[in-house]
Amino acid sequence: MGVVRALAIETATTACSIALLDGNRREARLLAADRRHVEVLAPGIAALLEDFALRAGDLERIVVDRGPGLFTGLRVGLATAFALADATGAGLVGVTSLELLAHGAHEAGVRGRLMAVVDGRRGEVFTQRFELADEVTAESEPAVERPRDVVIAWATNGAAVTFCGDGVARYERDFAAVPNGTLHPLSVPPTLAALDLAGREPGPVAPLYLREADAVANFVTRDAR
Amino acid sequence: MSVVLGIETSCDETAAAVVDDRWRVHSSVVESSIDQHHHFGGVVPELAGRAHVTTIVPVVRAALESAGLDVGHPAIDAVAVTAGPGLIGSLLVGLAAAKAYALSWDVPLLTVNHLEGHLFAPLLETPDLAWPVLTLLVSGGHTMLVYQRGPGVHEVIGETIDDAAGEAYDKVARWLGLGYPGGPPIDRLAGAGDASSLVLPVSMTGEDLDFSFSGLKSAVVRAGEKRPDLAHADIAAAFQRAAVEQLTRKLRRALERYDVAGVAIAGGVAANSALRAAVIDLATEFGVVAHVPSLAMCTDNAAMIAAAGLSHLTRGSLGRLDASADPNWSLADVS
Repeated sequence: MGVVRALAIETATTACSIALLDGNRREARLLAADRRHVEVLAPGIAALLEDFALRAGDLERIVVDRGPGLFTGLRVGLATAFALADATGAGLVGVTSLELLAHGAHEAGVRGRLMAVVDGRRGEVFTQRFELADEVTAESEPAVERPRDVVIAWATNGAAVTFCGDGVARYERDFAAVPNGTLHPLSVPPTLAALDLAGREPGPVAPLYLREADAVANFVTRDAR
Repeated sequence: MSVVLGIETSCDETAAAVVDDRWRVHSSVVESSIDQHHHFGGVVPELAGRAHVTTIVPVVRAALESAGLDVGHPAIDAVAVTAGPGLIGSLLVGLAAAKAYALSWDVPLLTVNHLEGHLFAPLLETPDLAWPVLTLLVSGGHTMLVYQRGPGVHEVIGETIDDAAGEAYDKVARWLGLGYPGGPPIDRLAGAGDASSLVLPVSMTGEDLDFSFSGLKSAVVRAGEKRPDLAHADIAAAFQRAAVEQLTRKLRRALERYDVAGVAIAGGVAANSALRAAVIDLATEFGVVAHVPSLAMCTDNAAMIAAAGLSHLTRGSLGRLDASADPNWSLADVS
């Protein structure tokens, strides 16, 4: 697909990670695991570019995880990616946290049915079903569910399935109860998988929240300032 | 000549501006998501954050383009951004974008306190203004008196001990069913009312320079409930008179104690017509210059952030790419 130099940005979970591709050389870095996205992301990108002896202006593509996941983390990653792409002229490619998990699991050798599960907070998870064969194929749309409902659905249909994502880590005991389920340790959407998708057609990217802001009804007045 | 791009996203306005070190504003673009918050009676942080992330780049691009700059290689010396105080989810968007622009263009990042930004607004309209200046900074979240010896050299000499003035306006407006934000509709309604129809207490009549507005708001509600016959316009007029009276009383006291060349108002409440008139009268009485900024410069904008950033740049006080946002960053902590 001809993309030589690409940067991947992933901030959909409490972790913040990036990866850089330059020809045959690629490297992924976990910058922080504890929600410090805004502090670590820009210095991490600057350091990685420097180690590759590249400048931001050399980038051809910026691949960014557009969700679903942690809202504030996503916005730090998206604002960074949008501004980088605007300033450098690099093409912007949006990918989802769920498909990154699927591609990461595929890369790790997982085959068959896969449920990508991202922690959605407030007792919910963001999910999507994939079939992993020679290729990765999505078999459902991204959804918001209660972990218990996911578990019940898979426990009753009895089919073999692999679960991965930070939602599985969060509700490990629930997911471990699925008879034909396998828990895969992949937790953070992998940025190397994002680099693999850098050849997609670039274009406008919108956040994938999967939840209305109206649900966040605990509004404040300006006195919170 | 130094030129700075300013970015401001502390509340519901997404703003970007280009300003030079002679305090000339080359461009100033402000997009507000206020229409989305109106029926909630306040700014919904999640809605504000969502709006910022989609508008930040178009707003920055518009500011650069209207300043005649190329987004790929703009002739700017730094990127200044509000790092607090404000809504954390809103601050993070502007800060992340500002860092990415600074990194891409290889220029320094300047992290600015939003309130310090407000103090620079008068300078942008009167570049040769004479110092020192006493500034009454009044907004939805803050009410304070600041003594400024020069650009970036200031001391907080008084502030509210409870609600901000703008907060009192918002709460009274909500009680009167006027929507959010409360300042403009109360100001309009007060113009048609009789302030003498209701006597309200002017709080904080002591010798200090601090303010208090929570009692005033409660007094309005109590009086209104006791006298349901009162017209809303009369209530608004009485409330506005008491609020402005408290503000000007403390400003007068500060003018008696501090020898200054000018007096300024800043912040969203500085758009209030009664306060503007009262401050001009006070300045005339004391023989000092009144700096009453245009409405666009009173409310949140990025030109004032760029201006404060320019003073950081001149002092060599550069921000760092690992800077975090501080939703409670106090002006007193800004050196």
